[in-house]
Order: sequence, then C-alpha cells, then structure tokens
Amino acid sequence: MMALRALFFYISVLMLSTSATAHPLRLSLCEIEYSQKKQLLSINLKLFLTDVNEALVFDPYSKELAFCKPNESTKANQMLMDYVNQFFYVKANGKILDLKIKRKRLSGEGENTALWVYFELRQAAPLTSIEIKNAVFTDLFFDQNNIVYVHVNGKSKSMMLNKKTPVHKLKF
Amino acid sequence: MTRQICLLSFLLVLAIISCKEKTTKTDAKTETEEELVQRALGIHKRVLTVDTHADTPLRMIEPGFDMAERHDPNETGSKVDYPRMKEGDLDAIFFAAFVAQDIRDNDGNSRAKALCLQMIDSVVASTERNSDVVGLALNPDDAYNLEKEGKRAIYIGIENGYPIGTDLANVEEYFNRGVRYITLVHSSNNDLADSATDDNGTEHDGISEFGSKVVGEMNRLGIMVDVSHGNDSVFYDAIKISKAPIIASHSNARTVTDHKRNMTDEMLKLMAENGGVVQLTMLADYLRTAPPNAERDSAMAALRSNMKPIGEMTKEERSALRQSFQELNKKYPNPPATVTHVADHIDHIVKIAGINHVGIGCDFDGGGGIEGVFDASEVMNITIELVRRGYTEEQIAKIWGGNLIRVFKEVQAVAEQLQSEEAS
Repeated sequence: MMALRALFFYISVLMLSTSATAHPLRLSLCEIEYSQKKQLLSINLKLFLTDVNEALVFDPYSKELAFCKPNESTKANQMLMDYVNQFFYVKANGKILDLKIKRKRLSGEGENTALWVYFELRQAAPLTSIEIKNAVFTDLFFDQNNIVYVHVNGKSKSMMLNKKTPVHKLKF
Repeated sequence: MTRQICLLSFLLVLAIISCKEKTTKTDAKTETEEELVQRALGIHKRVLTVDTHADTPLRMIEPGFDMAERHDPNETGSKVDYPRMKEGDLDAIFFAAFVAQDIRDNDGNSRAKALCLQMIDSVVASTERNSDVVGLALNPDDAYNLEKEGKRAIYIGIENGYPIGTDLANVEEYFNRGVRYITLVHSSNNDLADSATDDNGTEHDGISEFGSKVVGEMNRLGIMVDVSHGNDSVFYDAIKISKAPIIASHSNARTVTDHKRNMTDEMLKLMAENGGVVQLTMLADYLRTAPPNAERDSAMAALRSNMKPIGEMTKEERSALRQSFQELNKKYPNPPATVTHVADHIDHIVKIAGINHVGIGCDFDGGGGIEGVFDASEVMNITIELVRRGYTEEQIAKIWGGNLIRVFKEVQAVAEQLQSEEAS
C-alpha cells in the first residue's frame, strides 16, 4: 500500500487533483458562557474578516461592508445575521435563541483581522441543556473547523464542529 | 625507495577510490525510479519516524470522531488517524493540546487549564481505547520499544503556555499528565512570552520573568522547551535561559522562505551550538512564497464586475454565484507547496546548522499538509525526496527522529542532574 502510494505520487505528480493542494487552517472560534448567578448567557463569535467578506459579498478583501468602521454599511449587520442564522444556532433548554448583535469589534491586522460578534441574552431558568450548531463557512471551505468553548457555571468544555459534525448537545 | 612506495600507495588508494566512486556512480546511473523509491521505502521502514507536531487533539474533541477509523482528508480535512499513521509508516507523533489565546485573567487562565486538561484526557483515552495499535509514550526510548511491538508511539505536547496561567505548579501537573514539550506561546502574546505574530508587537521583549521561571521548571522536570511561534527574542532568551537544549517543534528556514515564523541563519547556527533541533513543518506559507495568481484574480474580478447587487440576489442566484467562484478556484489553483520545497529547507538547515539539528514536525490538523505530504499516510514521500538528493540512511535516521530523541534524552539528563542537585 505504502509503495503504491509513493510510486503513484512520483509517477503522476502533475496529474494530482487540485484537492490535494495545500490548505491553510480554516478556523473560527465561538465562546459560550452561562452564569446562573447572573442569569446571563453570552455568545462570542470570532470570525476571520476575510471569510466573512467572502461569505457575504464574494470578495475576501472587500471594503463594501466596512465592519466596525465609521463608514460601516447600514446593511452590514443584517447581511451578517442572515448568514449566521443559516449556519449557526444555540438552543438553550431546547429553545432556539433569538440572536441580536450587542456589539462587534475588530482585532488583528491584514489576513489575521478577526471580527468579534457578541450576543447577550437573559436566561433566568437554570440551564439543563445547550445545543450548538456551528457550520459557519463550511459552505466555502470543506475543511472549515469551528472550535466551540462552553463555560457553564464555572465548568468548561470544548468541542470542534464542522461540515461532517455541525451540531452537538450538552446536558447539565 | 620510500618515495616510490609512497607514490605507489597513493596511486593504489586513488585507484580504489576512483573505482569505488565509479561503482557508486554506475549504481546511481542504473538505478531506476522504481528502484530508488523501493530503496527509500526500505529506509523509511527501518528508521524511527517521529513527527513532533500535530493538532489532532482538536479532532479528538469533534463529537464522534474515531482515531481508529480511516478518514478521507479531501472530504473531512482530517490529516491524522491511526490507520493512516500505519500506512505512512509514521512511528511516533506528538499530539499537541492547543488552547486558543484568550483573556489573561484568573477566569481565563482557569478555563484554559480546564480545556487543556480535557484535550490531554482525550489523547490518553484514545491511546487506552486503541492499545492494540498505539501506546502512550513518556520517555525517549518508548518510541523504539513501541515500534518493536508494532505499535505507534503517542507523545503529548502543549501548544501555547496559556493554560499554565500564572501558577508555576501547573507545569508539574501537566508533566504528570504526560506532557513532554510546551510551546511557550502561540499567535498572541501571553504571560510567558511574546508571539512572532501578535499585531501589538513585543510585550516582554522575549520571555517574561514568569516565563523564565516556567523554562526553569520545564528544565527541572524534563519537559522540552519549544520556541516555535515565539518572536526572535523568545528564541534568543530561551537559548540563554534554558539549561537543556531547546526545540522548534514546527518552524522552517527564513533564508529559504521569508516568514516571521521561520528561523534566520544566525538562529540556526545558535540552535546547533545549543544542541537543539529545528523540526521542519509542512505549512505551505512557511515553505514557499506563493506566486501571484493573475489569471484567477482577473477572472474573479470579471465575475464580480458582472454581479447583480448582493441585496437583490435570490438565494438560488447566490448559490449559483458561489459555485462559479469555486469553479474558478479549481480552474486556477495556486501553485502548491511540494516535497521539493521541504527538501530545500532541509538542505539549507543542514548546510547552516548541520545534519544533527533538523527534524520533522508536520503540523497536521493545524494547517499542515502539502502536495505529496497531504496527510500522515504520505510522509514517506519526504524520505524518497531525501534519498533522491543523496542523503544516506544514517542521515535520514537523524532527520526523521534520531535528532529529536537525542535532544529529548539530553533534556531528561539535565532534569535528573537538576533534581539530584536539588536533593543534595
């Protein structure tokens, strides 16, 4: 098997499919925090700005929506949430949360610029379960990985969601 | 008479040498591509192959992901599982528990620790579930012993010292859990050290005071100090502070590819003086500067200029447009990084630092993977290219694991020494 693979590589190096070319790590981060004491559930999404622009306006380097800039487009938030709602949700105790952007910010520079999108919701009833779908950018990149950190009442858990496994439920 | 004997001896030696050279040259001339590949595969099988950096614990926290199953990298993006390690004859690997840098306060630190421990537990649990094919490795010789048993050796590292927080005692806790190297910092500065890629620039001018204590504790316990991701000052500080040789678990040569994450010739020379090792990584951007892709860019610009305003598009129109962009990406792919780039970096590091100071740390599941070395099942292609360039089996054995194991042993020897000094 090994010999066959190696020979195949050397004999047909020019014939390899484009899918075998290099890919950078496609990553997003989501942090969900719940405190029973504060009765507050917060969600923080960290998305690479180039990915956001690619997803929304088909151009990773577009300045059209100008997120977090003085000239931010009036439709920027709506377009962002139309996209996010297609690929992301959080269910608390079985009920999908209605996400409204509380604030956004940019960090980093150039290719590493990240758009942070923060949501905050009141959650009075004790959290017994949380279900997360995070398939953002899996429509763009087959190898997109979305790391999710969940912190509930002082306990932390991490998971990775992607195209193959976009949804996971945690019970408390 | 003596002069005549000397002359005759000299001619005899010359004749033997030229005869030997001729034979070698003839062998090389007559060796077919298939024979070369077979010879390389024989070497690849005989030497211990160690990859010092994979972010596979990120995969292990994917619900339902099973390391015992073979995954298609082109469908799932996954680069390492146990069947593919066997296919590629990869004998040992360091799985790095990675926690993304976040807020540096008590809450942030304790969360980072919890997440790091979860990842370490995932690695340990995976080795226990698959004990017929892999084993948890803690010491340098474990890799050789497990290889004899026909099992892969799984070592644990931590990528980013963030989960240490500000509590030095955590270093020993991680050691006790099996951690054998710690990458001091990742893409942003932390309390230990400055990152090569933090947009805010330097914060500690290299390694912080607390970071120095962490390095001392790592020396005392026998944990390898990893400077990959650190800025240049972190490297120079680590060289000065560490009592044991250091490693760069996944970094390349800056002279070959100008990237902040790669190491300058001066650093490579110092690494050699230090007795440490640079583990070459399969990240395309660190291996070659991507050339411009003018055809694709102009085709995309043309497509964009004919687009309807985004707000007026139906869902179907958006999907069709997405498809068109993806087709352009397929039609005009970026020229890939290949195994020849890998060997160019190895050649350079060998030239500057010597054969004893280079190894392999692919960064699979962390962005690593190039044409020909796309996942763990294809790592033998590195060996084939090295054979093609004239590296001997002894040299390849050093590159593929011997150098790293030497450093690991020296790190443990320093730890024993420090602990015996402490006891007396």
